[in-house]
Amino acid sequence: MKNDLKNLLVMVCRIFLGFMFIYASLDKIAHPEEFAKQIGYYKALPFGLENLLAIILPWAELIMGICLIAGLLVDGAALVSIIMMLVFILAISQAMLRGIDITCGCFKVSADSEKLGLDTIIRDIVFLVMSFIVLNRQERKFEFLPKSD
Amino acid sequence: MLRVPLNQMLAVIILSLAVGLFTNIIRPDRIPLLAEEMAGAEDLDQVSGEPAAITLAQAKQLFDDDVVFVDARDDENFNDGHIKNAWKSGFFMELMFILDSLQSKENPVVIYCSDDECGSSRELADDLYNEGFTKLFVFKGGWLEWNDAGYPVE
Repeated sequence: MKNDLKNLLVMVCRIFLGFMFIYASLDKIAHPEEFAKQIGYYKALPFGLENLLAIILPWAELIMGICLIAGLLVDGAALVSIIMMLVFILAISQAMLRGIDITCGCFKVSADSEKLGLDTIIRDIVFLVMSFIVLNRQERKFEFLPKSD
Repeated sequence: MLRVPLNQMLAVIILSLAVGLFTNIIRPDRIPLLAEEMAGAEDLDQVSGEPAAITLAQAKQLFDDDVVFVDARDDENFNDGHIKNAWKSGFFMELMFILDSLQSKENPVVIYCSDDECGSSRELADDLYNEGFTKLFVFKGGWLEWNDAGYPVE
Protein backbone atom coordinates (compact mmCIF):
# COMPACT_ATOMS: atom_id res chain seq x y z
CA MET A 1 0.00 0.00 0.00
CA LYS A 2 2.81 2.39 1.00
CA ASN A 3 4.71 1.53 -2.16
CA ASP A 4 1.61 2.15 -4.24
CA LEU A 5 1.32 5.62 -2.79
CA LYS A 6 5.01 6.30 -3.45
CA ASN A 7 4.66 5.11 -7.03
CA LEU A 8 1.60 7.28 -7.47
CA LEU A 9 3.47 10.31 -6.15
CA VAL A 10 6.35 9.64 -8.55
CA MET A 11 3.92 9.33 -11.46
CA VAL A 12 2.15 12.56 -10.51
CA CYS A 13 5.51 14.39 -10.29
CA ARG A 14 6.66 12.92 -13.61
CA ILE A 15 3.50 13.85 -15.47
CA PHE A 16 3.23 17.29 -13.89
CA LEU A 17 6.87 18.18 -14.56
CA GLY A 18 6.58 16.75 -18.06
CA PHE A 19 3.62 18.89 -19.06
CA MET A 20 5.10 21.89 -17.27
CA PHE A 21 8.35 21.63 -19.24
CA ILE A 22 6.51 21.16 -22.54
CA TYR A 23 4.28 24.17 -21.84
CA ALA A 24 7.30 26.27 -20.79
CA SER A 25 9.17 25.41 -23.98
CA LEU A 26 6.55 26.31 -26.58
CA ASP A 27 6.55 30.13 -26.45
CA LYS A 28 10.36 30.17 -26.21
CA ILE A 29 10.75 27.89 -29.23
CA ALA A 30 8.33 30.12 -31.17
CA HIS A 31 10.17 33.35 -30.25
CA PRO A 32 13.92 32.67 -29.89
CA GLU A 33 14.99 36.29 -30.34
CA GLU A 34 12.65 37.54 -27.62
CA PHE A 35 13.73 34.74 -25.32
CA ALA A 36 17.42 35.58 -25.88
CA LYS A 37 16.69 39.19 -24.95
CA GLN A 38 14.84 37.99 -21.88
CA ILE A 39 17.89 36.00 -20.75
CA GLY A 40 20.05 39.06 -21.45
CA TYR A 41 17.99 41.19 -19.06
CA TYR A 42 19.23 39.01 -16.19
CA LYS A 43 22.78 40.26 -16.90
CA ALA A 44 24.16 36.94 -15.70
CA LEU A 45 25.93 35.61 -18.81
CA PRO A 46 29.12 36.95 -20.45
CA PHE A 47 30.13 37.15 -24.14
CA GLY A 48 26.58 37.26 -25.53
CA LEU A 49 25.98 33.64 -24.56
CA GLU A 50 22.29 34.36 -24.03
CA ASN A 51 21.63 33.56 -27.69
CA LEU A 52 23.19 30.10 -27.44
CA LEU A 53 21.17 29.41 -24.31
CA ALA A 54 17.99 30.64 -26.00
CA ILE A 55 18.64 28.24 -28.89
CA ILE A 56 19.21 25.17 -26.70
CA LEU A 57 17.27 25.60 -23.45
CA PRO A 58 13.70 25.49 -24.86
CA TRP A 59 14.46 22.30 -26.76
CA ALA A 60 16.00 20.79 -23.63
CA GLU A 61 12.75 21.60 -21.81
CA LEU A 62 10.66 20.05 -24.57
CA ILE A 63 12.80 16.90 -24.74
CA MET A 64 12.81 16.55 -20.94
CA GLY A 65 9.04 16.96 -20.88
CA ILE A 66 8.55 14.26 -23.49
CA CYS A 67 11.03 11.95 -21.73
CA LEU A 68 9.31 12.33 -18.35
CA ILE A 69 5.85 11.65 -19.74
CA ALA A 70 6.84 8.88 -22.14
CA GLY A 71 9.12 7.07 -19.69
CA LEU A 72 12.31 7.54 -21.69
CA LEU A 73 15.64 8.40 -20.02
CA VAL A 74 13.69 9.43 -16.91
CA ASP A 75 16.81 9.48 -14.70
CA GLY A 76 18.64 11.78 -17.12
CA ALA A 77 15.65 14.09 -17.52
CA ALA A 78 15.17 14.30 -13.74
CA LEU A 79 18.85 15.08 -13.18
CA VAL A 80 18.90 17.80 -15.85
CA SER A 81 15.71 19.17 -14.29
CA ILE A 82 17.42 19.37 -10.88
CA ILE A 83 20.43 21.19 -12.34
CA MET A 84 18.16 23.50 -14.33
CA MET A 85 16.07 24.42 -11.29
CA LEU A 86 19.20 25.14 -9.24
CA VAL A 87 20.49 27.43 -12.01
CA PHE A 88 17.09 29.17 -12.33
CA ILE A 89 16.91 29.75 -8.56
CA LEU A 90 20.45 31.17 -8.60
CA ALA A 91 19.77 33.42 -11.62
CA ILE A 92 16.51 34.77 -10.19
CA SER A 93 18.04 35.31 -6.74
CA GLN A 94 21.03 37.25 -8.07
CA ALA A 95 18.76 39.43 -10.22
CA MET A 96 16.50 40.19 -7.26
CA LEU A 97 19.43 40.87 -4.94
CA ARG A 98 20.83 43.33 -7.48
CA GLY A 99 17.44 45.05 -7.70
CA ILE A 100 16.91 44.15 -11.35
CA ASP A 101 13.20 44.71 -11.91
CA ILE A 102 12.36 42.46 -14.87
CA THR A 103 9.84 39.88 -15.96
CA CYS A 104 10.59 36.22 -15.42
CA GLY A 105 10.48 34.79 -18.94
CA CYS A 106 9.80 31.43 -17.32
CA PHE A 107 6.74 30.47 -19.35
CA LYS A 108 6.08 33.43 -21.65
CA VAL A 109 8.47 35.87 -23.29
CA SER A 110 5.97 38.71 -23.86
CA ALA A 111 5.72 41.99 -21.94
CA ASP A 112 2.78 40.74 -19.88
CA SER A 113 4.88 37.90 -18.45
CA GLU A 114 5.06 37.67 -14.64
CA LYS A 115 7.56 39.82 -12.71
CA LEU A 116 10.42 38.20 -10.81
CA GLY A 117 9.54 37.69 -7.16
CA LEU A 118 9.84 35.44 -4.16
CA ASP A 119 6.93 33.38 -5.48
CA THR A 120 8.99 32.56 -8.60
CA ILE A 121 11.79 31.18 -6.40
CA ILE A 122 9.36 29.20 -4.22
CA ARG A 123 7.75 27.71 -7.33
CA ASP A 124 11.15 26.59 -8.64
CA ILE A 125 11.98 25.06 -5.25
CA VAL A 126 8.76 23.01 -5.50
CA PHE A 127 9.78 21.86 -9.00
CA LEU A 128 13.24 21.03 -7.60
CA VAL A 129 11.73 18.83 -4.88
CA MET A 130 9.49 17.11 -7.44
CA SER A 131 12.53 16.40 -9.61
CA PHE A 132 14.31 14.86 -6.60
CA ILE A 133 11.27 12.65 -5.94
CA VAL A 134 11.42 11.39 -9.53
CA LEU A 135 15.18 10.78 -9.46
CA ASN A 136 15.03 9.07 -6.06
CA ARG A 137 12.20 6.66 -6.96
CA GLN A 138 12.59 3.03 -5.88
CA GLU A 139 10.55 1.37 -8.60
CA ARG A 140 10.43 2.03 -12.31
CA LYS A 141 6.84 2.01 -13.48
CA PHE A 142 5.84 2.77 -17.05
CA GLU A 143 9.43 3.31 -18.17
CA PHE A 144 10.59 1.96 -21.49
CA LEU A 145 14.14 3.19 -22.11
CA PRO A 146 16.25 1.95 -20.45
CA LYS A 147 14.08 -1.14 -19.82
CA SER A 148 12.33 -1.36 -16.43
CA ASP A 149 13.97 -3.59 -13.79
CA MET B 1 21.53 6.46 -2.37
CA LEU B 2 20.60 8.99 -5.06
CA ARG B 3 21.36 7.88 -8.60
CA VAL B 4 23.69 10.04 -10.67
CA PRO B 5 22.90 8.90 -14.21
CA LEU B 6 25.58 10.89 -16.03
CA ASN B 7 25.25 8.93 -19.28
CA GLN B 8 21.51 9.60 -19.46
CA MET B 9 22.04 13.24 -18.55
CA LEU B 10 24.59 13.56 -21.34
CA ALA B 11 22.16 11.94 -23.77
CA VAL B 12 19.46 14.51 -22.92
CA ILE B 13 21.93 17.41 -23.19
CA ILE B 14 23.48 16.25 -26.48
CA LEU B 15 20.04 15.64 -28.00
CA SER B 16 18.92 19.13 -26.93
CA LEU B 17 22.10 20.68 -28.36
CA ALA B 18 21.69 18.87 -31.66
CA VAL B 19 17.98 19.65 -32.10
CA GLY B 20 18.38 23.26 -30.93
CA LEU B 21 21.32 24.05 -33.20
CA PHE B 22 19.81 22.23 -36.18
CA THR B 23 16.44 23.94 -35.94
CA ASN B 24 18.15 27.31 -35.53
CA ILE B 25 20.01 26.70 -38.80
CA ILE B 26 16.93 25.78 -40.81
CA ARG B 27 14.38 28.25 -39.40
CA PRO B 28 13.93 31.61 -41.20
CA ASP B 29 14.01 33.62 -37.96
CA ARG B 30 17.33 32.12 -36.84
CA ILE B 31 19.45 34.07 -34.39
CA PRO B 32 23.26 34.35 -34.25
CA LEU B 33 24.97 32.05 -31.74
CA LEU B 34 26.24 35.01 -29.74
CA ALA B 35 24.25 38.14 -28.94
CA GLU B 36 25.52 41.55 -29.96
CA GLU B 37 25.68 44.62 -27.76
CA MET B 38 22.99 47.24 -28.24
CA ALA B 39 24.12 49.75 -30.88
CA GLY B 40 24.97 53.25 -29.75
CA ALA B 41 23.12 56.32 -31.05
CA GLU B 42 25.59 58.43 -33.02
CA ASP B 43 23.14 61.12 -34.03
CA LEU B 44 20.24 61.75 -31.64
CA ASP B 45 18.06 63.27 -34.39
CA GLN B 46 18.56 60.44 -36.85
CA VAL B 47 17.75 57.49 -34.62
CA SER B 48 14.47 55.88 -35.54
CA GLY B 49 13.84 52.20 -35.04
CA GLU B 50 15.23 49.79 -32.48
CA PRO B 51 16.28 51.16 -29.08
CA ALA B 52 19.77 52.66 -29.09
CA ALA B 53 22.26 53.15 -26.27
CA ILE B 54 23.30 56.67 -25.28
CA THR B 55 26.14 58.11 -23.22
CA LEU B 56 25.93 60.42 -20.22
CA ALA B 57 26.59 63.49 -22.39
CA GLN B 58 23.85 62.49 -24.82
CA ALA B 59 21.46 61.83 -21.95
CA LYS B 60 22.18 65.30 -20.54
CA GLN B 61 21.58 66.86 -23.95
CA LEU B 62 18.19 65.13 -24.20
CA PHE B 63 17.38 66.11 -20.62
CA ASP B 64 18.09 69.77 -21.48
CA ASP B 65 15.77 69.38 -24.50
CA ASP B 66 12.95 68.30 -22.10
CA VAL B 67 12.76 64.77 -23.44
CA VAL B 68 10.75 62.34 -21.27
CA PHE B 69 12.90 60.16 -19.00
CA VAL B 70 11.47 56.90 -17.66
CA ASP B 71 13.00 55.18 -14.63
CA ALA B 72 12.80 51.38 -15.08
CA ARG B 73 13.86 50.53 -11.53
CA ASP B 74 11.40 49.32 -8.90
CA ASP B 75 9.32 51.72 -6.79
CA GLU B 76 11.65 51.55 -3.79
CA ASN B 77 14.70 52.67 -5.76
CA PHE B 78 12.67 55.31 -7.60
CA ASN B 79 11.41 56.78 -4.34
CA ASP B 80 14.96 56.87 -2.92
CA GLY B 81 16.00 59.19 -5.74
CA HIS B 82 15.70 59.56 -9.49
CA ILE B 83 16.60 61.84 -12.38
CA LYS B 84 14.64 65.09 -12.09
CA ASN B 85 11.17 64.86 -13.66
CA ALA B 86 11.70 61.21 -14.60
CA TRP B 87 8.58 59.05 -14.75
CA LYS B 88 8.14 55.91 -12.73
CA SER B 89 7.74 52.92 -15.04
CA GLY B 90 5.10 51.25 -12.80
CA PHE B 91 2.74 49.04 -14.75
CA PHE B 92 3.76 48.69 -18.36
CA MET B 93 0.29 49.12 -19.88
CA GLU B 94 -0.35 52.22 -17.79
CA LEU B 95 2.99 53.74 -18.80
CA MET B 96 2.36 52.96 -22.44
CA PHE B 97 -1.05 54.62 -22.48
CA ILE B 98 0.22 57.72 -20.66
CA LEU B 99 3.18 58.04 -23.04
CA ASP B 100 0.95 57.46 -26.01
CA SER B 101 -1.62 60.04 -24.90
CA LEU B 102 0.88 62.80 -24.06
CA GLN B 103 3.15 62.56 -27.07
CA SER B 104 3.50 60.86 -30.42
CA LYS B 105 5.17 57.46 -30.68
CA GLU B 106 7.83 59.10 -32.86
CA ASN B 107 8.91 61.42 -30.03
CA PRO B 108 12.05 60.48 -28.11
CA VAL B 109 11.95 58.68 -24.76
CA VAL B 110 14.99 57.98 -22.56
CA ILE B 111 14.89 54.91 -20.35
CA TYR B 112 17.36 54.14 -17.60
CA CYS B 113 17.84 51.89 -14.59
CA SER B 114 20.67 51.60 -12.03
CA ASP B 115 23.68 51.20 -14.31
CA ASP B 116 24.98 49.07 -17.16
CA GLU B 117 24.58 45.93 -15.04
CA CYS B 118 20.78 46.06 -14.82
CA GLY B 119 18.58 44.80 -17.63
CA SER B 120 15.28 46.47 -16.80
CA SER B 121 15.87 49.57 -18.98
CA ARG B 122 16.61 47.35 -21.97
CA GLU B 123 13.52 45.25 -21.30
CA LEU B 124 11.26 48.29 -21.02
CA ALA B 125 12.74 49.80 -24.20
CA ASP B 126 12.18 46.54 -26.12
CA ASP B 127 8.59 46.32 -24.84
CA LEU B 128 7.85 49.92 -25.90
CA TYR B 129 9.49 49.27 -29.28
CA ASN B 130 7.18 46.28 -29.76
CA GLU B 131 4.25 48.63 -29.09
CA GLY B 132 5.31 50.97 -31.89
CA PHE B 133 7.52 53.57 -30.19
CA THR B 134 10.32 54.39 -32.59
CA LYS B 135 12.72 56.75 -30.87
CA LEU B 136 13.87 54.98 -27.75
CA PHE B 137 17.17 55.63 -26.02
CA VAL B 138 18.66 53.48 -23.28
CA PHE B 139 20.93 55.46 -20.98
CA LYS B 140 23.19 52.60 -19.94
CA GLY B 141 25.11 54.49 -17.27
CA GLY B 142 21.77 54.99 -15.55
CA TRP B 143 21.06 56.48 -12.17
CA LEU B 144 24.57 55.88 -10.76
CA GLU B 145 26.41 57.66 -13.56
CA TRP B 146 23.89 60.54 -13.60
CA ASN B 147 24.03 60.99 -9.85
CA ASP B 148 27.86 60.78 -9.80
CA ALA B 149 27.98 63.53 -12.44
CA GLY B 150 25.98 65.81 -10.15
CA TYR B 151 23.18 66.35 -12.67
CA PRO B 152 19.67 67.30 -11.48
CA VAL B 153 17.93 64.70 -9.33
CA GLU B 154 14.98 64.66 -6.97
